[in-house]
Formats: sequence, C-alpha cells, structure tokens
Amino acid sequence: MKKQMRESLAGYAWISPWLFGFVVFLALPAAMSLYFSFTDYPLLESPVWVGGKNYTRMLTDSTLHTTLLNTGVYAAATIPLSVALSVVLAALINTRGLVGRRFFEVAVFVPTLVPLVAGAMVWMWLLNGEFGFLNQVLGIFWIDGPNWLLDKNWAMPALILIAIWGVGQSTVLSLAALREVPQQLYEAAELDGMGPIRSFFNVTLPMISPMILFNTITMMIGVLQVFVVPYVIFQKDRGGPGMRGYFYTSYLYDNAFSYGQMGYACAMAWVQTLIILILTGLMFYASRKLVHYRSA
Amino acid sequence: MQADANESNSVSRGSNLSSTSDAISRPENALTIGTITRRAAVGGMAAAALGFAVFGPRGSKEVTGGRVVLDYWEKWTGIEGKAMQRVVNDFNNSQSRIFVRYFAMSGIDQKTQVAIAGKAPPDVVGLWNYNVPSFAAAGAIEPLDELGAEFGVGLEKYAAGIRQVLTYPDAAGKERMWATVNTGGTLAMYYNKAHFREAGLDPEKPPLTIAELDAYALKCTVKSKTQAGDYARVGFHHREPGWWNFIWGYHFGGSLYDEKTKQATLDSPENIAAYEWMQSYGKAYGIDALNTMRSSFGNYDSAQNAFINGSVSMILQGPWLANMINSHKPDLDYGVAPFPVAERLYEKDAPIGLIDTDVLVIPKGVRNPKASMEFVAYTQRPDVVEFLSTVHCKGSPLASSSEAFRKNHPNRGIEVFEAIGRSPRSFRVPPTPTWLALRDQMEFMIDDVWNNRRSAAQALNGAQRRGQAIVDRDSDQRRRRAGSSAGGVV
Repeated sequence: MKKQMRESLAGYAWISPWLFGFVVFLALPAAMSLYFSFTDYPLLESPVWVGGKNYTRMLTDSTLHTTLLNTGVYAAATIPLSVALSVVLAALINTRGLVGRRFFEVAVFVPTLVPLVAGAMVWMWLLNGEFGFLNQVLGIFWIDGPNWLLDKNWAMPALILIAIWGVGQSTVLSLAALREVPQQLYEAAELDGMGPIRSFFNVTLPMISPMILFNTITMMIGVLQVFVVPYVIFQKDRGGPGMRGYFYTSYLYDNAFSYGQMGYACAMAWVQTLIILILTGLMFYASRKLVHYRSA
Repeated sequence: MQADANESNSVSRGSNLSSTSDAISRPENALTIGTITRRAAVGGMAAAALGFAVFGPRGSKEVTGGRVVLDYWEKWTGIEGKAMQRVVNDFNNSQSRIFVRYFAMSGIDQKTQVAIAGKAPPDVVGLWNYNVPSFAAAGAIEPLDELGAEFGVGLEKYAAGIRQVLTYPDAAGKERMWATVNTGGTLAMYYNKAHFREAGLDPEKPPLTIAELDAYALKCTVKSKTQAGDYARVGFHHREPGWWNFIWGYHFGGSLYDEKTKQATLDSPENIAAYEWMQSYGKAYGIDALNTMRSSFGNYDSAQNAFINGSVSMILQGPWLANMINSHKPDLDYGVAPFPVAERLYEKDAPIGLIDTDVLVIPKGVRNPKASMEFVAYTQRPDVVEFLSTVHCKGSPLASSSEAFRKNHPNRGIEVFEAIGRSPRSFRVPPTPTWLALRDQMEFMIDDVWNNRRSAAQALNGAQRRGQAIVDRDSDQRRRRAGSSAGGVV
C-alpha cells in the first residue's frame, strides 16, 4: 500500500507540470469565462451578475445572426471541399510511379507553414481586382475577373478559396492513411474485376474513412472559429463588403475587446463551444455507419 | 568501452536496479541510482520552480540609483516612434529621479484594457482620443485636473477645438480632464495643384462647399484611354482611404450622437443628405468603374498611395499624409484646405473638421501617479510639442504655436490643420463609451449605400435602430452597475 501510494505520488509529481498548466491555463479560465458569461463585464470594471441575459440577448442580436450565417456558409463550403480535395490530392500524390512525388508532397504541405497573417497579405494581392494574379490568369481565357475582396458576392468565395489553399495538413494525413491500405485488398478488387475508380470508392475510401472523419472533425473545429484571415483582409472595410467577411469569432472578439462586452463575448464563446460539441457528436453518430474501422 | 556501455545501460534502466543482485550487494535503504534520479528530478523541478518564484525576474520598478522606472506604452513605430523615443531619452537625461522605458505596440487600447483589468497597468499610455470616454467612464484612468495642475498642465493650455477630446464627465457627472494631447491631428482636404491646373482650375482656390467639390472633382476626372468606361483618375473618391466612413454627415451639419439626450442620431436628415451625396457619385461616374478604380489603389504608406501617385485629385486626410508625401514623392505639388461643407455651413474663419488626436493617459492603479504626470507634463512643454509635431508633420495642439514652428514645418498645410484645431466648429467622434459599436453600425451599412443597393434613408434607419439599441443597452448596464455598487437590487 505504501509502495502504491509512493508510486501514485511519483506519478502525480511527473504529470504535475501538465496538471498545473491544465488547471491554470485551461480549466480555471474556462470556469471563469462561464461565470463571466452570466455577468455584465466591460473588462475595465468588475463583473455584475445578470443571470441569463447575455444568452437571451443572442436571440435578438441581428449582427450575431449575420455572423452565424456567414460562418455556417463558410463552413458548409470549406469543410467538404477541403476534405474532398485533400483525398484527391493524396490519391494523386500516391499514384504509383509518380515522378517528383516528394516535391508534390512538400508543395502541398508548405502553405500550412506560412503564418496566417503573411498568407492573408499575399492573398490580398493575388485577389486584387485590378492587378491580382488570379484575374490576370483569368484574363488569358478572356474572363473578366471580379473584384474579389470588394464585391459582396465574391468576398465569401475568395475566403473559401484561401481556406482551401491550406489543405496541406489534411492531405498529408490522408496520404499516410492511403499508404496503410493493404495491397492485397487492391489485388482482390482487381481479381473481382474492379477498375481504378470502383476500387477507389469500394476499397480506398472505406479504408481511409477514419482519417476522413478525423480530418472533417478537426477542420470543422478550426473553420467554425475562423478569425485571422478575414480580420487581416477586411481590417479597413470593417466586416468586408456587405458584412460578408464578418464571422462569429470576429464579432466575439469585437465584443470582448472593442465594445466592452466581455460578458456577452464569453456567452458567445460558450455557445460556440456547444455548437462545436453538438456537431462533433452528430458526426460521431453518423460515422457509425459511414466509417469503417479495421479490426485488430 | 564495454564497461562504459554497461554503466550507461545500468543507469538508463533506472529503478529496476533495486532488484536482486544490486539489493544483495548494497545496504538496505541505500539510495540507488534509480531512486536518486526520480527523487532528484522531482525535487529538482520543485526547487527550480521555487527558485524561479523567489529569485526569478520580476517587473522591478526601481533601478540602481533609486530612479523610479516608468513603463510608457505607445502605438508609434518608424520615424514617429523614433521621435518619441528621443523625447523619452531627453526626459531621462534631463533629471535623475525618473527613468522612462518606451514600448511600442499594436492594438494598444486592447492591451491596455487587459493590463488594467489584470492590475498590471503601464505607467503612461498613448491612446486614441476616442478611447477617453470608455476608460474615463470605467474609472480606469486618473483624472488630471488636480494632478496636472501641480505640473502646470490644464485645459487652457490647449487649442479650443482640441480641449473637447480631453474631457468627459466622471461618475458624479462632473466634466473632468482625463488626458493630455500627444500630437494633435485634425482632418482636412489635400488637393493636387497640378491636376487643378490641368483642369483649368485655380490651384490657390480649393473648393469650399460640397457643390464646388463636386464640380471640381468632375473637372479633375480623366477617363482611361485603354479601358472603356474606366478612369485613369478621379477627382474625388469617398472610399479612399475609407477610414472615416462615418464622417460625411458632419460636413452636412449632422452628427451621430446627441450628448444631451444620449440618443443616437444616425438617420438625421443631414446624415441622409450626406449619404445620398455619396451615392450620387456611383450614379454619376458608374459604380463599377469607381470600384475598379478603388481596387487599383495601393497601400497607404507607399508610392502607390492613390493621392501620391495621382489616381485621386482630392482626398480627406490627416496631417501625417505629408510625411508619406515627403517620403515617397517630395516633389508632389499639393495644397491643403478645410474639407468642403454644405453651402449653408460655410464660414471662412470657423472651419469644420474632425479632431483626431493621440492622447496620453495615466492608468488608475499606477504606483507613482506623480512621477507619471511629471513625464507627461514634460511632453506637453511647447518646445517638446513642437519638436514632436514637426517630425509627425502635425499641427500644434496647444493654444498657440511659435512662428518658427509654422515657418519651418514640413507640412504645407500646417496653418489649415492648426486652424481646424482652434475652430469652435471642429468636432470629435461621439463622446460615448459605445462609440466603436456605433461606428461599426455605420461601417456595416456603408457597402450597401456606396453600391446603391439600398437607399441612404433605409440603410441609416437600420443603422439607427441597431445603434440606439447599443446606446440603450449601455445606459441600462450603467444603471445596473450603479445600483449594484450602491448595494441596490440588480
């Protein structure tokens, strides 16, 4: 018993740095933000308890509804496009006999290493309506490119395009999953008369479906918190053209640090957490039939 | 070699050594390498943490020699930051009791809020003038009426227009001084004299009214020779640089907020007229062409700046633009005049313009407010103000400036910027803690107005509804807060 106790204490001592970090930098701030979400807290003054007012206020806040809609549209487009593109890119890179495979792997992954702010600045020029590279390329095909970042109808597609550019991380994960698919399954599929496309849908996709689920969930968590890129790009035009570049987290940030509404911002953060938890739960539920786990 | 390998192997196995052969060969309870490693590691970590806590670095406020160290946060970098650093250095060299450390940072108002909330504020902060109401209303900064008076700093020191941005009522409703000015910015119109000459206009007679501005803008506009329907140059473009989308109503006699009634006035007839005027440009010039033009405008601080490179003939800007001109195109032939106003508002000797100054405040809770004020008072000395204003290309915020200052100033429009600062009709942004939220209501509707998707009246009505809700909520929160601190029911 004494030895067990000693070992337990030693164990706790070893994990104490993590425990300390978890309590001080995560659990405590989370608990405090939950408390603040029930207060009126302008940051410069002490919080005053207001009960559930911050939560009921969300029901009638039209700006919040706009940002929620923008975030939903952004997520609905970005997640499936990014997941699909990452699988397709991984499959292409995994093609047998591909010359320069390493180069393509690096080329796809490099954008994820670029700091978001630097990436956003570069994209601002790439998408410039007058001198932007994208419109110059479109011009070669006699297409008059839009004012991507100044046009209400094109701001959202532009942001989605920028998000998809950072698909490298999920592509690398998909690539790793693809390489784990047993070769004999493809041989069996070939014997059954499957061509490459049927084999992709009947063998590859089911076998990498756990990785697709992982990519989808992590991407959803990131995308629903989108902030940096629209914040940098639309710093001058607050909210972007027609507010199309104004997202849930941007509004949360403004409430916290510009409008003196830290209590409301905390309530928004908790609702955001709840939304992410529910969607993650739904995805796990749906995955029971869609995701194939190899038995040990 | 073999022996080394064995030793290293036995070390790496850690506490397993306490078994069998080792246990036989060593006395009981002896410290094995394994237990020493584990205990030493845990103990070492604990000792390191304790040592760090006791002897580690801390924000010491005292330096050798007994000088009080003050941390001064400011937003300026580049030449503006260097000039301020020189002022700080001069102050440090001018006496031996206080030492000021200059820290330049972005998002200064937000960081200052967090620092004050965390009870670790800097000793002096350079904020924007629109921060004063929210910081003052929260009691987060020191009132300077008495503190400043001890060092010879009072409201009377400043130009009439500038004074308004330094005051705000305290909790008891008494108007108090909360800040001093750290270079005085006002907004005026820069115009390209060469464009005026090309258009057959007198470069010494800039437009005075909105009607004249429209006529001059049309004359200065040049169509593109390569792209049908596009422009090579526009006389005036409301969205360049687009920093003050809320401002146009003021030049039509409107405002965004009534201080007395505490009501938002975003959809006043004057404001609607102003934004209808803005829409008239899209209708007259073609909104697509104006937007295409806008997308070609380069970065503000660059040779591709729309005014500097000649894409726009007239622009609403602050005195700091002269610094960019001097840096990127010193031979640009420009003039400065008060931004035009609706005809009925024009008065030659009382120009209308926004006061957009930087301010210095002393956060509540600093260790030595008097030392902070001593430094702030130093920065308000006329010679220091004029040095800093010269480098920043700005006018003096003081009630008067020296002839030498005006004569040698690098900004050709210095007299105009100073005149606006002294004008009783100059204006500030609404003095309310809700200003940033109100401003954003104007920002959020501007794209629809500019592109003629909604009438100005419709857009402003919506903004007014949301803006008034913000103002009302703030009043409710303040009432609740006052009730709470008085021990009343929340």
